Amino acid sequence: SGELYCSLPNPRNVRFESINMKNVLHWSSPEGTGNGVLYRVKYSVYGVGKWIRKPECRNINRTWCDLSSETSDYEEQYYASVKAFLNGMCSEWVETTRFNPLTDTKIDPPMVSVSSTDRSISIILAVPEKWKRSPEEESISLLQVYPGLQYNVSVLNKKTKKRWFFSISNNTLVVPWLEPGTAYCVSAQIHVTTPLLDSGFSKEHCIATLKDK
Amino acid sequence: GACRVSMSTAEIRAGFTAIKANIQSRDPVRSLSILSHPHPLNRVKSSDRCCITHHLLTFYVDKVFKHCTTEDSFLNRKISSIANSFLSARRKLGQCREQNNCECGEESTEKFKQILTNYEGLNVTSAAMKSLGELDILLDWMEKSR
Repeated sequence: SGELYCSLPNPRNVRFESINMKNVLHWSSPEGTGNGVLYRVKYSVYGVGKWIRKPECRNINRTWCDLSSETSDYEEQYYASVKAFLNGMCSEWVETTRFNPLTDTKIDPPMVSVSSTDRSISIILAVPEKWKRSPEEESISLLQVYPGLQYNVSVLNKKTKKRWFFSISNNTLVVPWLEPGTAYCVSAQIHVTTPLLDSGFSKEHCIATLKDK
Repeated sequence: GACRVSMSTAEIRAGFTAIKANIQSRDPVRSLSILSHPHPLNRVKSSDRCCITHHLLTFYVDKVFKHCTTEDSFLNRKISSIANSFLSARRKLGQCREQNNCECGEESTEKFKQILTNYEGLNVTSAAMKSLGELDILLDWMEKSR
């Protein structure tokens, strides 16, 4: 192909967005360019340094590229880079900061299931799984990735609006001495002390204690 | 081994997270890592962990922190706070090593030699800044091997 002039403005805000180690490269289009901009993506393992092109993200017009598969070893760190092309012109390669999947991912809230008796509520929490290439691949719980993981649990008495907070390490909690025939709402959060990672709180799961016998 | 590293990695990590992007942006060399290539720390046998941890704490105290002074006082404060944590952890671990005669197996000696070779592959300031930028690699390994 003819000589390309790299005078196109650069892609902006090139960064990884990661949830449960699903690691997606995102960027914004170069300033002042409308439609028609195409992009190429490459990535490298820190300490190895060889840049590797991502064929599925060659000459794409979208502004994201899923690099989860290429960055799935969370004991490595990575860089990724994007270049823009338009009307025979190109931009420079623009790199991310160093990406560490272990510390730079976000964790989804835990899954919450509740059951009740007349005077207690039982809560079971489940940690999200690490991203995986396909449903057939073996699942890895984020509990295996962050062994020191804990849970913060909030329990709200809908009648009195009184709220309790619990911090627990294992994934089950029984809240005793409650009022019969009363609605309680439960919400939970994952808390990893180091590296410091907190999920958001889950949506509320409400349940009523059984009426007095 | 018998020795435990008494060091608040959470506190060090918080300090490092505050300066990580700045420090790592001062390290343009992508193709060399001090700690993780060619042999990752995670391959160190558990029996050797006490020895290599002491080596690494000493490495950071003697060869890294003192060469990482920057023009930015915020960075310098964070770096010296991390350095102080390393100093006290090394002192305690050193005492424990003497009492428990922590073994330094061939593998960990080899691994530490590789780290020094990687370090000497760059000029002192670049090597120190790169090592500082890899603090999360060290902390990840220390926390995992607890």
